[in-house]
Amino acid sequence: MIHLEENPQNVTEAELVVAFPTFDEAASIGRAVEIVGQGLQEAFPDRQAVIINCDNHSLDGTRDAFLQAATPVPRIYLSTEPSQRGKGANLRMLFQKVLDLKAEVVVVLEADISNLSPSWVRLFAEPIQKGAAYVTPFYMRHKYENTLTSCLVYPMSRCLYGRRVRQLDAGDCAFRGDLAATFLDAPAWGDAVEATGIDVWMGTVALVSRVPVWQTFIGMPKEHRMKDPFAQLSVRFRQAVTTLFDLMGAYEDFWRRVKWSKPTALFNLDGQEVESPPIVEVNTSRLHQRFHEGFQEFEGLWREVFDPMVFNKLDEIRSMSFEQFTFPTHTWATLLFDAAAAYRRMGEDGEARSALVDSLLPLYLGKVVSYVKRTERMSIQQAEEHVEGMCAVFEESKPYLLEKWPH
Amino acid sequence: MAKILVVDDEEHIRLLYSEELREAGYEVITADSGYKLLERIEEEKPDLVILDIKMVDYDGLDLLQDIRGRFYDLPVILATAYDTFKEDAKSIAADYYVVKSFDLTELKKKIAMALETHLPE
Repeated sequence: MIHLEENPQNVTEAELVVAFPTFDEAASIGRAVEIVGQGLQEAFPDRQAVIINCDNHSLDGTRDAFLQAATPVPRIYLSTEPSQRGKGANLRMLFQKVLDLKAEVVVVLEADISNLSPSWVRLFAEPIQKGAAYVTPFYMRHKYENTLTSCLVYPMSRCLYGRRVRQLDAGDCAFRGDLAATFLDAPAWGDAVEATGIDVWMGTVALVSRVPVWQTFIGMPKEHRMKDPFAQLSVRFRQAVTTLFDLMGAYEDFWRRVKWSKPTALFNLDGQEVESPPIVEVNTSRLHQRFHEGFQEFEGLWREVFDPMVFNKLDEIRSMSFEQFTFPTHTWATLLFDAAAAYRRMGEDGEARSALVDSLLPLYLGKVVSYVKRTERMSIQQAEEHVEGMCAVFEESKPYLLEKWPH
Repeated sequence: MAKILVVDDEEHIRLLYSEELREAGYEVITADSGYKLLERIEEEKPDLVILDIKMVDYDGLDLLQDIRGRFYDLPVILATAYDTFKEDAKSIAADYYVVKSFDLTELKKKIAMALETHLPE
């Protein structure tokens, strides 16, 4: 719901929209708007464009920084109610506005990308002009950046929905304007989606809608104002997993019929210079400790939720020393499938569902330890092949999910 | 019977694949280069393509991009003597890849998976 709209240039129609969902981004938004304005003028000088800031009623001056940025491209500022937070809430306002403007191409970028360049506007928008309906970026990532994507979101979404979209939850995307109506009508909108679960949700809705989904090769890493990859992890983990599980309930008829997976079209592969991503360090002994702490807190729940055979496997993993530690992907996949089925059986019991999702975090951290140990001597490319191998195991294990899923 | 197009500039590979895959129950057609490959696909409508990456006159990864541009969901399996090609992001557009070998067990497994792949309409 749009609580506040400022449209100083009185824009009523636009072919191309670039949107920044924000909360307290006064320090970044002005620069981001100027870069995007330059990108629009360079790549789409004849297109009617508008830059939209969908904001969570920031009080740090985001609105002023946005409207005062030096670019000739018209702007619209939208805000949620003061009490409302979350990127999903921001983008829901955008979907409505995109339909009002009858926009053809919509690009969504995070405002705090420190290496954002004007060329990104073309890299996201052009695939839509060439036939894509939804575009996700393919950033150059270090092997330990976004392990939540590598170890969970990518293998799960790929085995469920059958398309290999490597960075479905990257945070930035582009979509065809008419897809905004699909997003407004799509199921499984909840608190998790209203926050950071929105990225997984939009990607999944696009995949299930069977519109052309492409990846655009950015050729460089996406750098934010420095973030610790494990800061806020519990919140991001909960929102991503809750969204995945809610969507499994909503799209059961679809994913049950998916067998194996297909590649996804890639844009911008010619003559691309590739930049190396910065190194990400992971404190595996701390994560290993948190994996073990999980047993103290959640063992009772795990015994209820996981198949006894699967729990025995988990118990074996627990007994391994740090030096020998390995968490087989088949066990990881079946744990997640058991948990998804249990989540489904819990129906509308939100408290039980939240407790279940939160209990999976130590297991995920255990899987990350195993992934890091397995790939520590590997190049980024070799680690990518390892991730592809994990995805293949998820796909091979899918009959287990079909057997366990409640009818 | 599924129809497989084998694109490879080495005659002994074309012969090996043809013989073994026919024995496995597939219809096999071959091409010795990437010349007019898209037209050939249009004409013959194969269910799957096995594509050599390094041919004398053609780069298989470029051909793969061309195939994806026109036949978005046609399964393509890359075949190569070396696995260094995976460093090129273009290889992501393949359904699967295999390292060339006289033992076609892995290739047959990938062919079966690619042909079985199902996404709801």
